Amino acid sequence: MIKLVVKRVVSMVAILLVLSATIFLLQKLSRTDPVHAYLGANASKAAIARESHILGYDRPLVDQYFHYVKGVLTGNLGNSLRTRRGVATDLGAYLPATVELTLFGLFLAVVLGGLLGLASAGRWRGAAAFRLIMVSGASAPAFLLALLGILLFFNRLHWLPATNDTAYNNAPTGPTGILVVDTLVHGQLAMWIDAWKHLILPGLCVALGPAVSIGRVLRTSLVTTMRSDYVRTARSKGLTERAVLLRHTLRNSLNSALSMTGLQAGLMFAGVVVIETVFAWPGIGLYTDQSIPAADFPAIGGVTLVLGVGYVVINTLVDVLQAVADPRLSLA
Amino acid sequence: MAVAEPYVGQPLGRGLATRVRIRQIRVVGRRASTVDLLAVGAFAVVVLVAIVTPAVAPHSPIVPVGIPFMAPGHGGFLLGSDEVGQDILSRVLFGLRSSLAAAGAVIASGVVIGGLIGLVAGAAGGWVDDALMRFTDIFLAMPGPVLAIAVVAALGPSFVHTLIGVSIVWWPFYARIVRAEARALASRPHIEAARLAGVGPLRRAWRHILPGAVPAVLVTASLDVGNLIVTLASLSFLGLGAPAPAPELGAMAARGLQYLLQEWWVPVMPALVVFLVAFLANLAGDGVRDLMGDR
Repeated sequence: MIKLVVKRVVSMVAILLVLSATIFLLQKLSRTDPVHAYLGANASKAAIARESHILGYDRPLVDQYFHYVKGVLTGNLGNSLRTRRGVATDLGAYLPATVELTLFGLFLAVVLGGLLGLASAGRWRGAAAFRLIMVSGASAPAFLLALLGILLFFNRLHWLPATNDTAYNNAPTGPTGILVVDTLVHGQLAMWIDAWKHLILPGLCVALGPAVSIGRVLRTSLVTTMRSDYVRTARSKGLTERAVLLRHTLRNSLNSALSMTGLQAGLMFAGVVVIETVFAWPGIGLYTDQSIPAADFPAIGGVTLVLGVGYVVINTLVDVLQAVADPRLSLA
Repeated sequence: MAVAEPYVGQPLGRGLATRVRIRQIRVVGRRASTVDLLAVGAFAVVVLVAIVTPAVAPHSPIVPVGIPFMAPGHGGFLLGSDEVGQDILSRVLFGLRSSLAAAGAVIASGVVIGGLIGLVAGAAGGWVDDALMRFTDIFLAMPGPVLAIAVVAALGPSFVHTLIGVSIVWWPFYARIVRAEARALASRPHIEAARLAGVGPLRRAWRHILPGAVPAVLVTASLDVGNLIVTLASLSFLGLGAPAPAPELGAMAARGLQYLLQEWWVPVMPALVVFLVAFLANLAGDGVRDLMGDR
């Protein structure tokens, strides 16, 4: 087990190095010269040269890369060309809302995916209809779900709000930045309920696609496991179908569903960017959407790095969880 | 999958009997259901419509032709008109066309780049295989769609840059699949025989290993079309595709967002088209997989 964890962490570091190198190279490739953009169109050549020198842009590429990695490790992601603040400062302000939405979405995706998988693997009449539901879910772009969700739950039924993460101007901003936690810490019950109301619709939109993928994989793997001899034994002992499914089959089928969850996190991050745009959710997705028209690559690179780290960490966790679910894996 | 399922969860005796029958059916390949054939047919129609769009679209996709904000079915606009009076039907038809072309281009580049790397790795084996697959794994371990956003943002928003950005993150899947097939084939007797007959490594890889990997690639590619259409539409939604007024489905939905509560059809129609095409592509992908046998 420890050996597996060490191995995974080592490969995680390698992947993160390549990721940072990729973002660094993209920054070099991007057609906006950050110094020029930062100093403005009227900056003199001398001023640009001086600033470039201060920022180290006249040094060899490898040097610059190490400088960049050092900056990243000490929390310096460069300056946003649009907001004129440090990208790290900006991300600090926008990230908590995204963490809130992503964690809730991931939770929903796992729960819904598990239910879909179990329901469609079971032996009951409605199971066939699930194929259609799943294919539909896998084909719906997140923004369509958001549009229809807003039309139905906000515009028609007036059940849920459609923009931002709170209706209050004086909502607490600390200590975590995650609203459903902060409002509770400050004892603001009305604000807490309001925060959940704002979270439901975007959370569902983000979760549905991944939930379907998780459900599909779980179903396939459940169906395969159900064919094994030990399941036949369990049935022949006279166990109910429910007990066979939940107590005997599920754990052995979790493996591929878990790795699908990890893979789907990547897709979900892209979904989060889109959904935050639609719902004006004050997270890094909205920040990205505002940075794209401004060609603010330092900001986009910073977001990519943060999401990339999140993705790699989640997948490392998934690898370890798989070994917990199936101890044979840690022997390999 | 479709054939094997009836057996699952059935009482013991019948289950065993069915299992034997399943094995027999499997030998000759899987039955293609009517749904599969219908799905493949429907998707073929969509592709055909995309090809002939310039001839069948009622209006130009970028020239305003009538009163803005006409509801679907009014003023001669089947799907309504948008904020400047362009015909939404014509715009989504052209959007559909560029969407499918883009998906095709990304798949083609994925198959070529990934296929080449996978084939070399699988056919060569040894350290070449190790090195190439480590490289591929690192790409697989990064969040593809997010990286694609960064690539397009760095190159500057445009249709071609979107294709480049998505292709860069899309090939590793194909490399993995081709490598696995090639690896399995490389140890088969007919390759051994070819080697003993004096066939060189390049010709062995090209003539004897590559054809064996084609079915698996075809199945993966057909299952990929729906995914790609949704992914590309999402990038376009974020403003990373062709600049306005180009008819791109994602961008149309994004620009129409502000009219959602009054003129819902402006953003919803293009989004619905993305869904419908992806839905048909996914069903057809399942169909192709069933037609090709269990892979």
